Amino acid sequence: MNRITVPALALVAIAALVAPSGAASKGPAAGKTVHVGVIADVTGAAGVYGTPQKNAYELANDDVKSGKIDAGGANLTFDVQDAATDPAQVVNLMQKFMSDGQTPIVLGPTLSGEAFKAFPIAAKASFPVMGTSTTAEGVTAMGPTVYRDALAESQVIPTTVKRTHDKWHYKTAAIIYGDDNAFTKTDGDVFAREFKAAGVDVIDTETFHIKDTDFQAALTRIESKHSEVIAIGALFPEATKIIQQAGKLGIKTHMIGGNGLNSPEMYTVAGPSAQGTVVGAAWYSGAKYPSNVDFVKHYTAKYGKGPDQFAAQSYAAAQIVAYLVAHGATTKDEMANGLKSVRIIQTVLGPIGFDANRDVKSSPVILSIIQGGFTYFH
Amino acid sequence: MIAQQLLNGLFLGAVYALFAVGYTLVFGVLDILNLAHAAIFTAAAFAAFSLAVAGWPLPLAFLAAAGLGGVMGILLDRVAFAPLRARNAGTLVPLISSIGVAIIIGAVLRGIYGVDEKHFTTGGLDNAPAIHLGAVTFTTVELAIFFSAIALMLGLSWVLRASTLGRRIRAVAEDRVAAALLGVDLERTIAATFFIASGLGGAAGVLTGLEYNSVTLDMGAPIELKGLAVIILGGMGSVTGAVVGGFILGAVETLAIAYGASAWRDAIVFGVMFVLLVARPTGLFGKRALRQA
Repeated sequence: MNRITVPALALVAIAALVAPSGAASKGPAAGKTVHVGVIADVTGAAGVYGTPQKNAYELANDDVKSGKIDAGGANLTFDVQDAATDPAQVVNLMQKFMSDGQTPIVLGPTLSGEAFKAFPIAAKASFPVMGTSTTAEGVTAMGPTVYRDALAESQVIPTTVKRTHDKWHYKTAAIIYGDDNAFTKTDGDVFAREFKAAGVDVIDTETFHIKDTDFQAALTRIESKHSEVIAIGALFPEATKIIQQAGKLGIKTHMIGGNGLNSPEMYTVAGPSAQGTVVGAAWYSGAKYPSNVDFVKHYTAKYGKGPDQFAAQSYAAAQIVAYLVAHGATTKDEMANGLKSVRIIQTVLGPIGFDANRDVKSSPVILSIIQGGFTYFH
Repeated sequence: MIAQQLLNGLFLGAVYALFAVGYTLVFGVLDILNLAHAAIFTAAAFAAFSLAVAGWPLPLAFLAAAGLGGVMGILLDRVAFAPLRARNAGTLVPLISSIGVAIIIGAVLRGIYGVDEKHFTTGGLDNAPAIHLGAVTFTTVELAIFFSAIALMLGLSWVLRASTLGRRIRAVAEDRVAAALLGVDLERTIAATFFIASGLGGAAGVLTGLEYNSVTLDMGAPIELKGLAVIILGGMGSVTGAVVGGFILGAVETLAIAYGASAWRDAIVFGVMFVLLVARPTGLFGKRALRQA
């Protein structure tokens, strides 16, 4: 396949919407074996994020076999390798996949900090890679073959600030963010920028480190400043503790956050003080896209718990690769060309495409935490 | 604000101190750093979680898990330290050996529990009633944790000072050969030391898990480094020093944030320790304080 034409893509997108589940087509790559490399932190400090990613690819392997994901009759498999939250291992795995002669694209790694080490190597060799959770600023700027299907924090937070500001008309805010992680540091920077643009005075900024467990000193200080909103730049483990401890200290201030707070277990873990926290995110488990409804159902049945955003974005990446394979892309150059030509693909994240900077084009969802999950923020 | 911050520091310091006393006890007796202490801290927290899930009342789960920590300590000594001790392997080899055991414990826990964070469904911070007393707020769980830590440390102090076992431990810490010549059963005393030290480390793990309602595979990593800093600050081998050092660390951490320097928290904490150690290189309570207990 040299280039996928826009009309052809549109037709396939429409066909995908109306095609019955399980009806795999026979494409140009039918019968060929396509081996996709996946780098995920299944163990180590980021194992909590890499494990749902691994689960999603295993489900995708099942779904390709059963025809729920249409790979055009190709024998498509996702080979998940554990990077153990070790940047050196990420680099080794990237080099292994790039040089094994059978891998046309690599999905992952899990963390932005890891992507900043591994993606330049791929970009230098014009090897296509796609991040599914590497949302820090600058990731896709590393090269013309670097893509991501994860909405960056810089795409999610502006809408979150705008929507909450439109509703609550706040004039002051405090920010608490992790300053030793590319993802959470981006949160802190983007919140500060967006508050400034909205005319909101940031009256206190507190930082913490990943794996911290006690946030009471920082929250006590924030409370003493009487800000109207607290913006949280954190991943799930720290975010739940911040919200939980704010509740314990009797803090009633509105709280908002980004993708890091988008987990089906937020309320269960953080407790009643999570009620009403606003979360800007790339994906909503309750979204009614046909493949999303199936994905949530099958993932829950297979693993005994609902998928989170890490799983959803990984499964979407598998859908994107399957789409390219269904159109004949089986080599690294064909993958790279296919990605360049993509306009709209139906995924569990909804209909998505890529912009000129190879960032995903889709709309963030603004959610509010309620008992048992999320609801749309209105 | 300052009253609440001091209370925050006090609660934080109590757990640091409880972790550090076990750490320093082993060093005081054997002159070795037990780097598997944090792994036992983590394992005990997971054990308490499992017992709580099985329906055990939390105080009972806490005691059983701390006891399990103690038993793990004895096994740790038998596996990682005793064979090397018998061959006079020095102090560096046991350190590496304890790192090996810590890695094995971590791998076993990952195999059993997976990588997901575990939460106590009852008794954790999120469903504990909050108490508002003037300018400060705390929960019954925090209060229980604080007093449990204090009670355990007072208990240890009594054991070391007034019991026969305590006298034996102090004798071994003073001079192993002389203690053996005077009839002290060296291996039994060392095993008892490991039981107490690891039991206290395990108790600190359970209390930390309860305080933040969070049990994770890597929960021991942050406290390991802090615990090491605390026992150096307090004076290697000094139980009193570990307690005082734990509270100092909790207070300095909290006050650094209270006065607007959260980004510099660790730099301030270790800066203060550096200054204290320059002024008093043997730590606050000097070397070998365990002998006097």
